[in-house]
Order: sequence, then structure tokens, then C-alpha cells
Amino acid sequence: MKQLNSILEGFGSTLQLLVRTFSYIGSLPRQRARFIEQCYLIGYTTLPIVAILSFFIGAVLALQAGYSMQNFGAKQFIGSLVGLSMARELGPVMVAILLAGRVGSAITAELASMKVYQEVDALETMNIPPARMLVLPRLAAVLVMVPVLAIIADLVGWFGGAIVAKYTSFISIEPEAYFSVLRRYMKFQDVMNGLIKAETFGFGVVLVCCNIGLNTRGGPREIGAAVTRAVVVSLILILVLDYFVTKILL
Amino acid sequence: MPCSSHTRNPFTAIETPAVGVTVENLSKSFGDHVVLHDVSFSVEPGEIFVLMGPSGTGKSVLLKHIVGLEAPSSGRVLVNGHDALAKETREQVRMAMVFQSGALFNSLTVYDNLALYPREHRVSNEAGIREKVMHALQILSLEDTAQKFPSELSGGMKKRVAIARALVMEPQLMLYDEPTSELDPVMSATISEIIASLKDEYHVTTLVVSHDRDLALNIADRVGIMMDGRLIFLGTPAELREPKDAQVAGFLYPKIDLKHPRFKKLET
Amino acid sequence: MNNAQQTARVGLFFILGLALTWVTFETLSGGTLFKNKGYTLVAGFESLKELKEGDEVRMAGVKIGSVEKTRLAGRRAEAVLRIDADAKIASDATASIVMAGLIGTNYIGIDLGTAGAAPLADGAEIQTRVTPDINTIMTEIGNLGQKLEGALSAFGTTLNGDGKGGGLFQKLDKIVTDNSDRVSTTMTNLQEITTKLNKGEGTLGKLINDPALHDELIAAVAEIKSTASQAKGFITDAQGIIAQVKSGQGALGTLVYDETMANNLRVTVTNIRSVSDKLAKGEGTLGKLINDDTLYNTAQSTLKKADRALDGLGDSGPITAVGIVANSLF
Repeated sequence: MKQLNSILEGFGSTLQLLVRTFSYIGSLPRQRARFIEQCYLIGYTTLPIVAILSFFIGAVLALQAGYSMQNFGAKQFIGSLVGLSMARELGPVMVAILLAGRVGSAITAELASMKVYQEVDALETMNIPPARMLVLPRLAAVLVMVPVLAIIADLVGWFGGAIVAKYTSFISIEPEAYFSVLRRYMKFQDVMNGLIKAETFGFGVVLVCCNIGLNTRGGPREIGAAVTRAVVVSLILILVLDYFVTKILL
Repeated sequence: MPCSSHTRNPFTAIETPAVGVTVENLSKSFGDHVVLHDVSFSVEPGEIFVLMGPSGTGKSVLLKHIVGLEAPSSGRVLVNGHDALAKETREQVRMAMVFQSGALFNSLTVYDNLALYPREHRVSNEAGIREKVMHALQILSLEDTAQKFPSELSGGMKKRVAIARALVMEPQLMLYDEPTSELDPVMSATISEIIASLKDEYHVTTLVVSHDRDLALNIADRVGIMMDGRLIFLGTPAELREPKDAQVAGFLYPKIDLKHPRFKKLET
Repeated sequence: MNNAQQTARVGLFFILGLALTWVTFETLSGGTLFKNKGYTLVAGFESLKELKEGDEVRMAGVKIGSVEKTRLAGRRAEAVLRIDADAKIASDATASIVMAGLIGTNYIGIDLGTAGAAPLADGAEIQTRVTPDINTIMTEIGNLGQKLEGALSAFGTTLNGDGKGGGLFQKLDKIVTDNSDRVSTTMTNLQEITTKLNKGEGTLGKLINDPALHDELIAAVAEIKSTASQAKGFITDAQGIIAQVKSGQGALGTLVYDETMANNLRVTVTNIRSVSDKLAKGEGTLGKLINDDTLYNTAQSTLKKADRALDGLGDSGPITAVGIVANSLF
């Protein structure tokens, strides 16, 4: 009962934070510098890990698909399998998970320490709403940067799959054939769906992490606990949202 | 509320009158734990009010009520006649609070810490902001620290930067939470002098929460003493020098008695 | 890291993202948005089957465009084809939906048409033809299977009966069972008859076993043979004549238009008739073979003897059994 209550409380406070943040949306042009900084942190610095991970996810997808599809002679369809899986599911989910681990945790740690060391209170007394100064630039930045990360993840994953399909002895599919099948069975709509999903996840992750950070109470010990909670809640959120967003988009 | 800060030289001409604070029957409890129990007092405009009391008696919580960070369980807090909780109050009355830890923004330099408020509220252009900030740093002799980060500063410097940051806001009401704690006696005296001189020069209403006896006796206009969530004394420093109440005397002038230590008495 | 550098990197990063999205869009949408080159044709089909937007259009196996749009138009389905500008399609070329693989890959195949035909203009409609797809083939095979099954089950019913009247096997079985006594009697009689025949008893036996009669028959047959060979020679002659008629001036045409040839033919026919008249009067070798009374009589008496022998067989009954068997069979 108590746990259910705390879950509902977390849900409610997250929504409240969202509404409050939206009410300050007009101040975004003035916060250009903060927005750019967050874009840099969320997008640019996350790119290498996204690229590496999506390359290997694409590669292993091709490998597994090739292994299991050679049994019934359908391995020429690897291109479409890797393409669709990356674009519709793995690209967005992977980007979101990386965001949760790399950006979300950092956000929570930063906001939680600001809260614990009374910096957030100081902002309140200065009549600067934390939602405006701390949350809005991050949410705006994640909205702009996540599609970029997701499309890069898709493409790098496709190339990873293509390379594995060519150089694995029991698959041996030329990149031309791989991409031709990928193109034949994919529409831009598939990629678009993936981008929408990534956008939803990224937005949710940053919002939840901000909320958990700002609601931290107690001493420095709580910062660590808040970060752990933020990452766990983010991962659950990603997978739950994944189901519902996919269902809506289908 | 007249506020033409764009033209006025910072901290000199006092156009906005100092404000008073009224606390009426304020009670606050967290769950079953009663922190404040029916506290009533008022701070007159332009005076220094020092609120004393042992640690953990709800002084900081009271302060948070005044700046509107906490909502009362019952009773109310009025700042200049407005409810402290209302959002408008914070827009109409400029309140600045100096936190115990300083609460400086660790990711910003000292200069940016001070410039944050005027920038966010678009008080003036960047040149005007620079003038204000450097003036505030100058008052507290902190010019050299402008480009440093808070982590590079000593405890006393952090407190002074926090005070400077409050000054930049051109407050009508200054609230200090334990401004001299964790400081050596000389630095404590310095901070006390700063608080008093700021009040004299800019006529700001000042509320200090502290258990620094010297500070209270030397710079306060009035002193309140809290114990276990209740206000047990309200009077002038002169009255405090000769306390009639045994409890007050015991708090202000504790005897260090090694033969009968208090912490052992507590256990029995 | 100063602000300007940070801003530049973020800007660059964002532009990279936009560029990649655009490239992906171009690739996956068949590049139809920004390079709307070429021209369109409309192909109407009864069903587009597995065809979908983005599928290739090939002419004689060479890719010349793609399916831009699929839509329903009244009572038919239409595919709008975007054709490369340099690909000219003859107005009498026909388009069909071709299966590239068993699983769902289709493309539009267009044949070359005739060389001189005018090319189709933008927005024109191309002729189409229906090709069987995997579904039709499967349906056909399904129908065939059903028919085969129906036939087999009918045959089965005939053989095994439908449960009431009894099938062929039951009937045969019944006949054999019911007449087993008679069948064995018949067999005994047959054995007796053949034994008699073998010993030269009875008329037929004598015919088979009497050497004198045998020789006489041989001589008669030899005479028939020589007569027949003469007849063969005559027929060869006639054939030669007919071949001459045929090859003379080009078969039917000569016969119809050339009067001399027709007259020759008439004469030939008359000659043939006189030959056959002579045959009928017993003149010539063949005529004697046919008309000589002695040979006729000899043959007749032989036949009569055989007749009598068969009469003896006729009373015995097995013929009835065979008749019944034949009746129930057909």
C-alpha cells in the first residue's frame, strides 16, 4: 500500500513537473546558452558510445539471423531483418537505455546534489523556478538531440549488419544484396516510428530523472540512492512505454 | 511597489521601504514530530532580529516558512502583510536568504553565482550587471575571487560570497541561517560586522538564526530564544545580559562542569 | 571548451542528424520527393497481388523505374509507375506483375513491344496482361487435387460398393460362389473335349489330326497366298497410278482445273471398274480365287465341320457363365 502510494506520488509529481516546465517554455530563447550546453552533453558526448553499441548490435543481429535463417534458406532476408529491427525497436530502445545510464544518471546526480546542498532552495528564494532553469533546457535539448542519436544508431547498426553479412563465411551476402533487401522491405515510416519512439523514451527518461533528482531529501548519501532509483525507474519506463508506444504506432 | 532598479546605483538609494515580518500562531509538524508549536512574533521593518536556540529546535524550519519553502501546518506567516506562501509575495518583496552551507552554485564561478539573479530577472544589461556584481564583491572584499569556483574557496569566503549574492538581489528582507557556524572567532566577528553594517547602510530588515551569543548581544535590536519548538524569550540584548529565566540563562551561559557533566545526566 | 566551440559542435551534430535523416528518407522512399524525374504510366490490373509501392519496374529484366503509388480506381486496381526519362516504352508493350521469388517479391515486368511503335507519353495507360501468380497456381493445383480425389473415390465406390447393391468385386465373388458347381462341371467337360480333340475323335479332332485333310488345307492356303501376291502386285500398280495422279501437277489444284488430267482420271476409274467386273465374272487368277465353286465348297464344308464342333461346345454351359460375367462387367 505504501509502495503503491509512493509510485502514484512519483507519477503525480512527474506530471506536475512536466506541466510546470511547459509553463516556462517561453523563456527558452533566453536560455540559449544552457540549452546548447545540454545539447552538447546529451547529444554530442553520447555519440561515440551510441555508435559503438549500435554497430555491434547490428552486427550480432546479422550474425544470429544468418545462423538461424540458413536452416530454411532465407538468409538473403537478413538485410530487412536487421534494418527493421534496428529502426523499429533496437535503435530507439538502445539509445534510450544509453541515455538513462549516461545522461539520466548524471542529471539526477547533479540535481540531487543541488537539492541536498540547498542550491535548489537558494534558487527558490531568488524566485528562479528550478523547473525553468534546470529542467526546461534539458528537456528541450533531449527532444532535439535524441532523433539525431537514433538515426545515427540506425544507420551504424545497418552498416554493422552489412559488414558481418559480407565477411561471415556461412552468410556471405554482398552489401548490395543486403541493402537492396533492406530497402525493398522498409519504408521511411519504419524509421520515423523508431524516431518517435526514441523521442518518447528520451523525453520520459530526462523528465523522470529530473523529478527524482529534485525530490531528493536528506544528506549526500541520498544522492547515490537517487541515482540508482532514477536509472531503475528509467529502464522500467522505457520498456513499459516501448510496448504502448509500439502498439499505438502499429 | 516602486522598483526602478535600472537607473539607481546599486545599494545606495533606498527607494523601497524595508518590510516587516509577522509570524502568527505558527505550528509545523512532520508526521508525528512537532517542530514548531504555536510560535508568534514579529520583526519590525529595518531592525535586526536574532533568533537563538539549541540545535534542532526548528529555527531553520521557521526561516523556510518565511521564504515560503515550507507550508505551515497551522497559523500563518506574513511578509509585509502578504502571505509568505503566495507566489506573488516573492515577486513583490525581494527576500534574500543566506544559507548555512552557503548554497552556492557549484557549477558556476563566483561571478556567475552573483550574476545569476540579475540575469534571470533581466534587471539590466550585462554591463549594468557587471557593475552591480563587482560592487557587491567589493563591499565584502571579494574582488579576487570573481573567477574562482566555490569549491576553491574557504568556509568563511563561501559565507561572504553567499552574502554578496544576497546583496546583489537588493533585498528588502535578509535572512541568515547560521551565518557564523563553522567559522573561527575572528571570522565570526567579521561576519557579524558585515551583517550590522549592511543593515545600517541599506536599512534592510534582517532576521538572523544563530546560536552565536556574541553576535546576538552585539548587533541585535531584539532577540528571540526558541526551545523545543516554542518561543521562550523575546526581548532586547540588554535584557539577555541579565536573564531572569533559568532556562534562558542555562542556554546562554552554560557552565562547563566536569564533575557533573550534562551528557551523563541526560542518560539517567 | 569555450561556448562558441560547443555551439559549433552541437550545430554540426544537428546538421549531421538532419542530413542522415534526409539520406535515409531518400533511400527508403525510392527518392521520389526531391528527384521527381522521368514520367508516369498507369497500369490497371484486376488485382495487384503482392505488388507494393517502391517495387521495381523492369523492362526485359532491366530496371527502368519503380511503382510510385498503388490505388483502387473503380472496379480495378491501378499502379502508377514512375519510369526513368531515358526509358522509352512502346505503345503496344504490355505490363504484367511478375514474381521474383516465392515469398512476396514482385515487380512489374514490361516487354519490349514492337520496334517501330510510338513511345508512351507521360500519364498514358499501358496495356496489361494477367499472369498467374503463386496463389492461382496453388488454387489450380488444389482444384486438380479435388478432381483427382473425386475420381478416385468414385472408382473406389464402384469396386467396393456403396454399402447397398455391392460392388464389382462383391458381385464377381457372388457369381463364382453361386456357380462353383457349374464352373467345375464346365471345367471337366472342357477337359474331356480337349482330350477328345487331341485323340482325333469327333469332327474337329479329325480336322486337326487327319494328315490328308491337313495337306489339302495347306495347298488351299498356298493357292490363296499366291493369288493374294498377284493381287498385291496389282494394287502396287494402282498405287503407282494414283501417285502419278497425285504428283502430276500439284494434287487437288490440277485435278480441279486441268481437264485432260480429269479425263485421264476418268479413264483410269473406268479401267479399274472393268478390272473389277472381270474379277466378278471369275476371269483371271484373282477372279477364279473368288469365284471358283470348288474352293468355295471345300472351305464351306471345313467351316461346317468347325460349326458342328462349336455346336457341341455350345450346349455345355460355360458360355452362359462367361456371358453373365461379361454382362455384369459392362
